[in-house]
Amino acid sequence: MAQQANIGDLLSMLDSPVLSVRDDVTAVFKENLTSDRGPVLVNTLVDYYLETSSQPVLHILTTLQEPHDKHLLDKMNEYVGKAASRLSTLSLLGHVIRLQPSWKHKLSQAPLLPSLLKCLKTDTDVLVLTTGVLVLITMLPMIPQSGKQHLHDFFDIFGRLSSWCLKKPGHVTEVYLVHLHASVYALFHRLYGMYPCNFVSFLRSHYSMKENLETFEEVVKPMMEHVRIHPELVTGSKDHELDPRRWRRLETHDVVIECAKISLDPTEASYEDGYSVSHQISARFPHRSADVTASPHVDTQNSYGSATSTPHSISRLTLSNTPGQLPQTLSSPPTRLLTEPPQATLWSPSMVCGMTTPPTSPGNVPPDLSHPYSKVFGTTGGKGTPLGTPATSPPPAPLCHSDEYVHISLPQATTTPAKKEERTDSARPWLHRQHHLPNDRGPEELPGSKGSVTLSDLPGFLGDLASEEDSIEKDKEEAAISKELSEITTADAELLVPRGGFDSPFYRDSLPGCPRKTHSAASGPQGTSANPEPLNSSLDKLGPDTPKQAFTPIDLPCGGSEEGPVGNRGRQASLETSILTPSPCKIPPPRGAGFGSGQPPPYDHLFEVALPKTAHHFVSKKTEELLKKAKGNAEEDSWPSTSPVEVLDRLIQQGADAHSKELNKLSLPSKSVDWTHFGGSPPSDEIRTLRNQLLLLHNQLLYERFKRQQHAVRNRRLLRKVIKAAALEEHNAAMKDQLKLQEKDIQIWKVSLQKEQARYSQLQEQRDTVVTQLHSQIRQLQHDREEFYNQSQELQTKLEDCRNMIAELRLELKKASSKVCHTELLLSQVSQKLSNSESVQQQMEFLNRQLLVLGEVNELYLEQLQNKHSDTTKEVEMMKAAYRKELEKNRSHVLQQNQRLDTSQKRILELESHLAKKDHLLLEQKKYLEDVKLQARGQLQAAESRYEAQKRITQAFELEILDLYGRLEKDGLLKKLEEEKTEAAEAAEERPDCCNDGCSDSVIGHNEEASGHNGETKPPRPGSTRGSSGSRGGGGSSSSSELSTPEKPPNQRAGPFSSRWETAVGEPSTSIPTTVGSLPSSKSFLGMKARELFRNKSESQCDEDSMTISSLSETLKTELGKDSGVEAKTPLNLDGPYPSPPNPDSVGQLHIMDYNETHHEHS
Amino acid sequence: MTEDSQRNFRSVYYEKVGFRGVEEKKSLEILLKDDRLDIEKLCTFSQRFPLPSMYRALVWKVLLGILPPHHESHAQVMMYRKEQYSDVLHALRVVRFVSDATPQVEVYLRMYQLESGKLPRSPSFPREPEDEVFLAIAKAMEEMVEDSVDCYWIIRCFVNQLNSKYRDSLPQLPKAFEQYLNLEDSRLLSHLKTCSAVSKLPYDLWFKRCFAGCLPESSLQRVWDKVVSGSCKILVFVAVEILLTFKIKVMALNSAEKITKFLENIPQDSSDAIVSKAIDLWHKHCGTPVHSA
Repeated sequence: MAQQANIGDLLSMLDSPVLSVRDDVTAVFKENLTSDRGPVLVNTLVDYYLETSSQPVLHILTTLQEPHDKHLLDKMNEYVGKAASRLSTLSLLGHVIRLQPSWKHKLSQAPLLPSLLKCLKTDTDVLVLTTGVLVLITMLPMIPQSGKQHLHDFFDIFGRLSSWCLKKPGHVTEVYLVHLHASVYALFHRLYGMYPCNFVSFLRSHYSMKENLETFEEVVKPMMEHVRIHPELVTGSKDHELDPRRWRRLETHDVVIECAKISLDPTEASYEDGYSVSHQISARFPHRSADVTASPHVDTQNSYGSATSTPHSISRLTLSNTPGQLPQTLSSPPTRLLTEPPQATLWSPSMVCGMTTPPTSPGNVPPDLSHPYSKVFGTTGGKGTPLGTPATSPPPAPLCHSDEYVHISLPQATTTPAKKEERTDSARPWLHRQHHLPNDRGPEELPGSKGSVTLSDLPGFLGDLASEEDSIEKDKEEAAISKELSEITTADAELLVPRGGFDSPFYRDSLPGCPRKTHSAASGPQGTSANPEPLNSSLDKLGPDTPKQAFTPIDLPCGGSEEGPVGNRGRQASLETSILTPSPCKIPPPRGAGFGSGQPPPYDHLFEVALPKTAHHFVSKKTEELLKKAKGNAEEDSWPSTSPVEVLDRLIQQGADAHSKELNKLSLPSKSVDWTHFGGSPPSDEIRTLRNQLLLLHNQLLYERFKRQQHAVRNRRLLRKVIKAAALEEHNAAMKDQLKLQEKDIQIWKVSLQKEQARYSQLQEQRDTVVTQLHSQIRQLQHDREEFYNQSQELQTKLEDCRNMIAELRLELKKASSKVCHTELLLSQVSQKLSNSESVQQQMEFLNRQLLVLGEVNELYLEQLQNKHSDTTKEVEMMKAAYRKELEKNRSHVLQQNQRLDTSQKRILELESHLAKKDHLLLEQKKYLEDVKLQARGQLQAAESRYEAQKRITQAFELEILDLYGRLEKDGLLKKLEEEKTEAAEAAEERPDCCNDGCSDSVIGHNEEASGHNGETKPPRPGSTRGSSGSRGGGGSSSSSELSTPEKPPNQRAGPFSSRWETAVGEPSTSIPTTVGSLPSSKSFLGMKARELFRNKSESQCDEDSMTISSLSETLKTELGKDSGVEAKTPLNLDGPYPSPPNPDSVGQLHIMDYNETHHEHS
Repeated sequence: MTEDSQRNFRSVYYEKVGFRGVEEKKSLEILLKDDRLDIEKLCTFSQRFPLPSMYRALVWKVLLGILPPHHESHAQVMMYRKEQYSDVLHALRVVRFVSDATPQVEVYLRMYQLESGKLPRSPSFPREPEDEVFLAIAKAMEEMVEDSVDCYWIIRCFVNQLNSKYRDSLPQLPKAFEQYLNLEDSRLLSHLKTCSAVSKLPYDLWFKRCFAGCLPESSLQRVWDKVVSGSCKILVFVAVEILLTFKIKVMALNSAEKITKFLENIPQDSSDAIVSKAIDLWHKHCGTPVHSA
């Protein structure tokens, strides 16, 4: 609760006049809202706002952020349900929606929407309805996809409200109805723009019913005049319209503009789609608009319109001023046209003036024009033509036709005064045409379509006509009042005078002073300071006015409608001047601003004034009072063609006029005039009505503002496009310039090329001449050369001849020299021969002498021979025979010898082969012997090792024995020595017993050695059993022999010895040689071999003399035998076993060498 | 060449593709068939290839000179050997150095001592270090050779060979060992050096006892094949390979005592691989002995 209280305090503080406090509190609230998510604060705020309608609270509510939207909507939903708070809630909703919060898409789902629709369907309060409809219209573009669910609700609402306008259930004031009508009209536009197919089908079904027919005729049909056929009707379908995809890519302002596009209502329509489109949309005045865009005059006019928020009055004013202004405007445009691209002015005239509300500007003209038009043609064909035109959208008609049309239409339409104007009228268009001609438009179109007027051209003419009518009207006015046409400033006055005629004197009086004063001097102050006064004045005025209303219903509206413009006209004039002549007269804008936002009360007051008149319009329209004045008629006639918006505008206009007048009036006496001055306190009912109206107006205003904002958004986009286009244009121009430059360059290049070509040809010629010259030179030189060549050839032939001659001469020389040589040689030869022949001669002489001598000797011998020839033959024969015999003998001898030789040779060969065999055998034997030797050595080594072992054993034994002896000696006594000796002998006996097999001999040997130390060991030896026999013999003779043959097995050795010594009987003579071979043991391989050998030897000893070739064994044997024999004979006469046994090495010494020696000996 | 022609000509390639010992037995049989056995060839063979166990004793005996090269005299010489053995044994029994209860190994020792004239005065005399060596070798040999006479003779000749033929080369082996270890794994050697364990390695066990008691007999006999056939360097490589095989463990040990202790009692399971690798290593460093013939 504390918090609640706290909030309450804060809320109250919100409205505190101190700005800082207010800001702080607002900040606190916002902070709270961001931190707190609960609905409490929002609810409180809504409550508070509904109670107090405090601005700061409204501000906070409209800027609510996301999480609180639901609470806000819920709360508003709650309040909408209650009839009391409905209106304020709706206005709050309107405020919130117009700011387009980020959560606007949620509206379609919020329960508020159905309840709003329900309220619109059921409520009967016009205020609520108007507000609600406006809110709905504002909301629709934001939530286009919601149409799917609520489409029929929308249509129902439209149907209800449209019939409402007609039927007027309850006691609804007419003024309210105007508002309602305007909003319904807006709804119509919106629905038709957004859902054309559905809407049209709804209209078709709804108004096909008879009870609705009247409504259609009266309300809906006029509305339809202001729209063109929606393209969607052709291309789209019901379902397609409701497709969310269609709406997804459209923003809110896009939707708004879409709706505006299909509108023919100049106040609504949009021209942005381009020149042609604008024509189509403003179908009623296509030509006019074309004209407008083309002519600077209208341009300025547009700018005025955009400058102020009351287009109607402005356009009127400007139009009324046109005659006077023309010179000026005509003078000014050329400059502007030069500086600015025509398209720019065409598209956005506002850019020229820098104004921000262009969409309304095109609309300025039509209402203005329609009005006078209807005034002029109202009775005749005025109604027919405009109705027919909207459907068609012809291209702009040429200007030249306007003249003809004027000629045609003017007689048809107007009375005498119109004809009178014809002259001036025709002059106006001409002015226009003159203006157009410089623009390169007129000339082209002039011949084209001058001949006839087609139906399609009509609208164009109409547009033109309208402008002319304007001027006509003005002319009429001018004519009626004065001839000061040329003066611009006086235009107001001119207009005022005739009006004054229509108006009540009350107004008339005030008018002349009013416009100028207010606008030229004190319009600003008026806007701010006169707030309470207008109210008073209006209220004051109401008293007398209301009764009048009934009686002079027609006059007043006319006056009012005319007065409004009049009031503004002055301002316009000043504006115009301010713009045309850039003077620092900046009064109008503040006025405009004040007019738009700051001064609702004056409006209220004005409405009050205007209200009866508009109401009267409706009444008069219904009753079809066509007998009224021209203006009144015009208004009535123009009803179908005028949109409800215009009506509303006019209403406001009237209100404004009334207010200004009131104000003027009030200002004259004093400011302290109160209500009583006008007839007491005002009725409460009136106040309420006024308030409500104010509210409605406010709503309307807000709605319009919202639209304006959308347009502004749109405009910005367009502006961007325009800038882009301009930039492109610039770029284009630059490109063109570049192109030109390049072309120039190309030209230059071409020229230079030609020059170069010329130079080139010149050079070519020069070259040709040079070439020909050179050619001739060459030819000459060649000729010279040939000559030289010929000469040289001649010389060469000569040279060759000379050479040949020289060669010949040389040859001859050679021949000569050779001849000389030859002769010399011959000479020498000859001389030699000579000497030779001399010596030969000498020899010959000598030989001849010898021959002589020999011949003599021969003769001598011949003589001797002849003497001894007779007895030698017999002897010779004898000798011959002897010789023969001897020869034969010798021959046989030789034969014998040869035979012998052969045999002996054979023998030699035989022997040689034998020898070789023997050698081979010998080698084999040698090898074998080697082998055997090796074998024996191995065995010997084994045996040696055995011996060694035995030696060691004996040593060990000896050691043992000695040890024992040592012990005995230590122990023993001398007496017992003998006994001990015997014991020792016994012990010694025991030992041989132990090793009697093979050790005995060696043991004995060792014992002998040992006996060297002590002789007492000998006695046991003789006592030894078997080995004693061998050892006895050997021991006595030579111990060395025994010692040297230790390896021989005792048995074998013992055998031979014993046989040798003991019995020579057992083994005869043969045994003796065997003993010689006693070297190896019989057991061993060597021994066996040896024995074999010796056996062979003994055999061979028997036939020792036979000269057979001996084998290896034989030789061995012989050698051994000899050796043994020799050695044996010498010392002992024994066979000689001893010499060989002494050293066992002798076995190893059986050398092959020895054998060889012996062999030689034998052989 | 005559023997070679009898052998399978593919035998050369068997070794190249990794089949070892396919033709060894056959070629050994061929070698042994000769009547004067060629000792040199036998040496080479036993250095190149592992001997088949059935011929091992015979080959060893021949190589150690217990049997002469001639087949004919084998029986006789063997008889001599046997007699000598029994004689010596008898003598020892007589002097009561051995009895039936004496372990065979000691009997061998006594016999050897007797034969070499080093028999102590009393059996109770303390043993010399070389006796310990002999005992270790004898113990290993006892496992390899069944016949006691053969065994004694082989032990005797083996020890004799160590004492005579390798007298000079055995002390060099530790140096060679360091050298080859450096070649194979210098880090290990440096580790050993830092632990100052190089000088304390069980060289006695390795080189004097020829790994007797260190490796199981089945592996040991392959090593001894080489030793018997005249190469004591194989011992070095066996030692190197032992270190390489147990490198990780050795690297983990930091004190010389621990290393020595570990090396004295190396696990037996990988001994076969060690020996194979050692032989490979030996062949790698010293080259495969080529038949000199």
